[in-house]
Amino acid sequence: MTVIATRGLTHLYSKGTPFQVAAIKDINIEIEHGELVGIIGHTGSGKSTLIQQLNGILKPEKGTVLLEGQDIWASKASIRQARFKVGLCFQYPEYQLFEETVYKDIAFGPRNMKLDEEEINRRVHKATEFVGLKEEHLSKSPFDLSGGEKRRAAIAGVMAMEPMVLIMDEPTAGLDPHGRDLILNLIKEYREDTGNTVMLVSHSMEDVAQLASTVLVLENAQVAMSGTVEEVYSRGEELSKMGLSVPQVTRIFAGLRERGLDVDTNIFTLEQGRQELLRFLGKGVPV
Amino acid sequence: MIKDITIGQFFPGTSFLHRLDARMKIVLTFAIIVIIFLCKSFFSLGLMVVFTVALILVSRVPLKTILKSLKPIIFIVVFTALLNIFYTTGDANSWTYEFWIFKITEKGVFTALFMAVRIICLVIISSLLTYTTTPTGLTDALERLLSPLKVFKIEAHTIAMMMTLALRFIPTLIEEIDRIMNAQKARGANWESGSLVNRAKALIPVLIPLFVSSFRRAYELAFAMECRCYTGGKGRTRMKQMKFGVRDFAALVLTGTLLAGIISLNIFFPKVI
Repeated sequence: MTVIATRGLTHLYSKGTPFQVAAIKDINIEIEHGELVGIIGHTGSGKSTLIQQLNGILKPEKGTVLLEGQDIWASKASIRQARFKVGLCFQYPEYQLFEETVYKDIAFGPRNMKLDEEEINRRVHKATEFVGLKEEHLSKSPFDLSGGEKRRAAIAGVMAMEPMVLIMDEPTAGLDPHGRDLILNLIKEYREDTGNTVMLVSHSMEDVAQLASTVLVLENAQVAMSGTVEEVYSRGEELSKMGLSVPQVTRIFAGLRERGLDVDTNIFTLEQGRQELLRFLGKGVPV
Repeated sequence: MIKDITIGQFFPGTSFLHRLDARMKIVLTFAIIVIIFLCKSFFSLGLMVVFTVALILVSRVPLKTILKSLKPIIFIVVFTALLNIFYTTGDANSWTYEFWIFKITEKGVFTALFMAVRIICLVIISSLLTYTTTPTGLTDALERLLSPLKVFKIEAHTIAMMMTLALRFIPTLIEEIDRIMNAQKARGANWESGSLVNRAKALIPVLIPLFVSSFRRAYELAFAMECRCYTGGKGRTRMKQMKFGVRDFAALVLTGTLLAGIISLNIFFPKVI
């Protein structure tokens, strides 16, 4: 079932001035329910514009965004619904925290949805647990949390709306490796637990390879490639022409192949690499 | 809307006005603003309009850009003009037009026109200053012009530095506001409908993160400045030395001539409307 689709989606910046540029043009995508879509592309390729279109923060110049088959711009009510159904978590979300307590901040979204107090309470606690914050954090001021905790509290604020589609823009930007793993795991668990669609915008080909089921590559305001991780990542040469590089582990296996070793080159994560090496070395796969 | 603000907007160029010393430009701008208010007759105001148009032509700033700076004051101009039309009582030997409770006099119409032209000249002249002077040039000049205030223990350098930083951070803050507003919109914040009180309340989720990040930026900037050994104005030299040239004295003489012209037109053709 298709959750979100776009038809000929185009967005212009500085319209009507000499500086007019199309941030995205004629984008047609279809996102299936329950998928984890990785969106990659380098700075200025239109990633941020695209995701802001999907929940109606930006209004398209041309084309439509269909949420469960309905045009999100059909009416005022439908655009508000789209904001709740498609949860968008911006880059550095910790800068949007504002309430006196973490509890109130996470409850901001659900409260805007006009849910009753009981339901809000349930959702806040569930989201808190999801992101790995503790009960005692809830009564603290969000400004007293550490950097990583702030980020997780902000993500909880979006998750508490229980959106059908969760979009995260560079959720690991500026975090140390430990914090990064924490957030990536959390996204994975969220998807496995709720079965909801997740879209992950990232610079890191490694992160996307680890998590995504399908990949969307943006280049010059258009979709340059789309498909499964294997399909996209096997076109390493085209990717590097766009200024994107395949994961390091993939390059290692390509290098091994070049030196005459008979290994599979469709290796995108460390785990796959380990399995392939073990197979190659003839030791079989340990249980 | 927020992007229409033209304060500190510089239009690059190499015209006579661009190359004038910024100190002279500031002083002369103030002088011309005073001169605008000295215009008492249609002839002197006419000379002022000619002078303003001449300055625009000399500056080579496109007319479109100039008109953009007038956009925010359209309301004030119209409002003043309307007030003057309806509130000026005419003298006996001119026509009047009456309907319902309103009474329009010939004098009223002329006064309204006069005021409108005055305000427009005023805004064009002052925006020409910012269009033809870089923000750094402006603050440097202000620092020099205010330096005699040292007698009163006022640090001109500090004021100028604060102005430079404030101007520098306007676009950054606008971007920041945009980002925070979008983030809260994504969580269902709504300040486009509802009562005035509710709309004001809905701004809290924007204002608090904005304050927090402004303080953060201020700290970061202070650290960065200290790391580059900034200790205030004492002993600081500048890369661009300001010097008065022939050009600046020519501008001074020209403005003096304008003043003389306006005063003599006031005296010899005192057709007050």
